[in-house]
Parts: sequence; structure tokens; C-alpha cells
Amino acid sequence: MNTQEARQVIFEVLGDIAPEVDPSIVDDDLDLTEQLDLDSMDYLNWMVGINEVTGIDIPQRDVSRFLTIAGAVGYIVEHSS
Amino acid sequence: MIDFLLPSLGADMDVAKLNCWLVKPGDTVHKGQIIAEVETEKATLEVECWHDGVIEELLVEPGPARLPVGTLLARIRSLDEAAQPLAPHEPPAELVTTPPAEPMHEVSAQPPPPVRHLAHELGVDLAALGGSGPDGAITRDDVRRAARAPTPETAVPFVSRPTRVRATPRARSLARSRGIDLADLPATGPQGMVSAGDVERTARPPEIIDEPEDKVSAMRRAIARSMSHSKREIPHYYLATTIDLDRSVKWLEAANEERPVTQRILPAALLIKATALAAREVPEVNGHWVGDGFAPAPSVHLGVAISIREGGLVAPALHDADHLSLDELMSRLRDLVNRARSWRLKSSEMSDPTITMTNLGDRGVETAFPVIIPPQVAMVGFGRVVDKPVAVNGRVLVHPVVTASLAADHRVTDGHRGGLFLASIDRLLQEPENL
Repeated sequence: MNTQEARQVIFEVLGDIAPEVDPSIVDDDLDLTEQLDLDSMDYLNWMVGINEVTGIDIPQRDVSRFLTIAGAVGYIVEHSS
Repeated sequence: MIDFLLPSLGADMDVAKLNCWLVKPGDTVHKGQIIAEVETEKATLEVECWHDGVIEELLVEPGPARLPVGTLLARIRSLDEAAQPLAPHEPPAELVTTPPAEPMHEVSAQPPPPVRHLAHELGVDLAALGGSGPDGAITRDDVRRAARAPTPETAVPFVSRPTRVRATPRARSLARSRGIDLADLPATGPQGMVSAGDVERTARPPEIIDEPEDKVSAMRRAIARSMSHSKREIPHYYLATTIDLDRSVKWLEAANEERPVTQRILPAALLIKATALAAREVPEVNGHWVGDGFAPAPSVHLGVAISIREGGLVAPALHDADHLSLDELMSRLRDLVNRARSWRLKSSEMSDPTITMTNLGDRGVETAFPVIIPPQVAMVGFGRVVDKPVAVNGRVLVHPVVTASLAADHRVTDGHRGGLFLASIDRLLQEPENL
């Protein structure tokens, strides 16, 4: 999966959780939960959604990679076959 | 025959619109099955059926009419009735039972004197009874059952019927569902009875909601009503304590390390379980203020405050939260949050909470000062988990801590009991492996 595809997955799943979010205004390098007012359940659901679409597990020790869009994109690209 | 009434829909929710039926006459239904969808100001609710049986008739059409709680929506024939029409059966405690009878049973021959005598003694109106005996004859058992069953006036309080009027069962059902007094109606039916047609002709047109209103505004109004009621009626007192979460956080980190993301447990699940167990230990915080007294609840149905992205919040129940494992609790919580945010909750989830908790930790605040949701008598708040210096065995260590607060109804408990409740939550969170 390339960067573009990873971004697409990330925002598709985010669209289910926060439908009002306009991807163009999200800063890739800022804390996602603060930017989009996500609570811990939203955040978990987002990671579960990414796992369901990509098949990539996100162990607890790697959760911090998903604090930003940039981190999540990098993680998905690294771990997708 | 079982009358299926519009159930209670939660605090200060007394009307709903029927969106659709999910069953039709002749369908077999089971306890817990979703059979209708209604809409209140707070949510679209799936209404569950609490009996096994067969749908006899649907009495209300979907539409914009605002139906009061208690409206007769449908009649359900119990499975016993279908299979063994002569077998006596206990009436469901919370519902009105109406006779499993021929539509015109009132014209049948009078019951024998012993039955009439018993009916007189117990204050049971034979004209309203269906017989389970041969050829629909009324037996003494029928009379005793009717005496035990709640009266229609109890179950459907908006109906006023001071004197018994001769009417067909269908007319009674219709009149009850529309809040019409049979005594006010002309009786043009057979034997001088009020017929269903008489009710139909006289029925007031249902109240129509003037203009569709967006869900968020309606929810805001519902919250305003409930919270105003709370602050007007309930003498709140507040307590708070700081709970060391070091053990819980470490235990949770270790547990989650082994788990795939789909089975991860959030700290909120530990807080919910500890609160539910503590509510069982201190039953004075778990229940409802009814009339002018406290009614303790036999189960812990923990309401969880869930914020809605568009604005507002709902606090549906996690049923029997004290008996759920952390895995079950987490999966139920995820499901509940997802459905609440897509406006799809079950009627029982809105009406059943016995105590509620709010977890504002994700929003950054350290302490919540909750407002009790009537008719409940307590609400627990948790703030953000923060690292703070704590004294442990004479040494100062930095541990994750959370502030747990309690708003409780002073009519039911005093600070002492409230303090014991918070202390129980604290103790339970020190042994996360036992939650």
C-alpha cells in the first residue's frame, strides 16, 4: 500500500467516525484526537477500522504512531505487504 | 391476550412517534425481539417485546402522531393461548391482560353464582372478563387472575373511566390507545355496546408535530427539561476523591499488550465495572426516586453518558454491568456508543438506567460535577487520568491518578454513605485483576 492509498483508508474510516471532518483541513502532524475532538472510543474505533480494512494489527506498543495522520500513514505503508 | 404498550422511554420522555412496525399480524415474536421503531426527542429507539407470542393485531399506524407512553400499540396472543386455549396462565405482572375471548363475549350467558360472588368480593367487573372455561365461560380462576392483574387505569394512567361502559374489546383497545373515555361515546354497536366504529368516529385527530425539527435541537430541549427538573427537585450533594490508578493502569497495559486492537480494553471499562460493583455494595445509590420515596433497583443497569458529535448527549444503560466480564463490558460499550452516535438505541436502554456515570477524561477536565438524571438518585463522574505525586509507604512517587466525584440525592443518602460508595470504587480499582 502506498502513501496515497494509506491516506485514503485512514480518511475513509475517519469519515465513519467523524462524518463532518473535511480531510483538507486536517494537519498531518498535529495530534488527531485534539484536532478532531475524538474521544478514546472514537480513537479505538478508528484503529479497529483501519485494522479491518488493511488487516494490519496495531499492537498496544505502536498506538503512539497513530497520534497523527503522518504517523499512521507511515505505519500502514511500512506494515502492508 | 397481552396488551403491548408504548414502554417508558427514559427520563422526562413521555411521547414518541411510531416510525415503523418490524412485525405484522400473525408473526411469532420472542422475548427481547425488536418489533417496532419509535422516535423520541433524544433518539430513534428500537422497541423490544417482553413476551413470547403471536402478533394478534397492530393498533397504531406509523405516522407523525405523538403517542403518550402507555399507548396500546398492539395485542399479542401468548403461545400458551395459541397452543392450549384452556390452560390457565399467569398474567404478566407489568402489563394489562385482556381476555382471550370472543369479540362479543359480553353477550354470553351470565356466569354461575359462585363466580359472580367471587367477582363481587374481589371487585372484578365480569363484563370486562374473557372466560377460559368451556365455550368461553368465565371461571373463578379467571376472576382471581383479573383481580391480581393491574387495572387498565393503573397501566394506562391517562385513561379516565369512572363507570364501566359496555363496549367491544376492540373498542376498548382503541379508546385506551387514544385516551378516550368510553362513557363519552354514543353506543351504536350490537346489544347497545360501544363499537370500534363509534370510537373511530369520535377519535380526536392525533396531535401532529407542526414542523419537523432537527434531532439536535430536540435533544437539547429534552436535556433542558430533564436537567431543569433535576436541579429543581433533587437536593444534590457532592463528594470527590482522588484515586491512585497505578495498579489499574499497569494491569491494563499488560493485558492490552497481549491483545489485538479489536479486543483492546479502554480504561473506561475498568471505571464502569468498578462503579457497577460499588453500586451493588451500596444499594442506596442504585435505584429511583418514585413518588415520595426511594425504590432500590434489584439490578445494576449503569447509564453511560455518551456525547453526540453534533451536540448533546444520551446516557443509555449497560444492562447488568456488575455481572459483565471486562471483555463483555468493552464489547457492549463499543456497541452502545456506536449505536448512540447513530441514533439507534433500544427503548429499554433509555428507560432502565439505575445510576449513571460520566467520564470526561477525554475532554481534559480533571473533575466533573454531575447533575443527577431523574428519577435516578446518583451520578458518578470521572475526570482525566493525570500523573501526580502521591505518597506511598512514606515515599513520594509519581502515579497516574483520577478524580472520582459523586452527585447524590440527599433525600436518599447522606455524605457518609456517599463516601463509602466512592471508597468502594477506589478499593475495587486497586484490584483490577478481580474486576
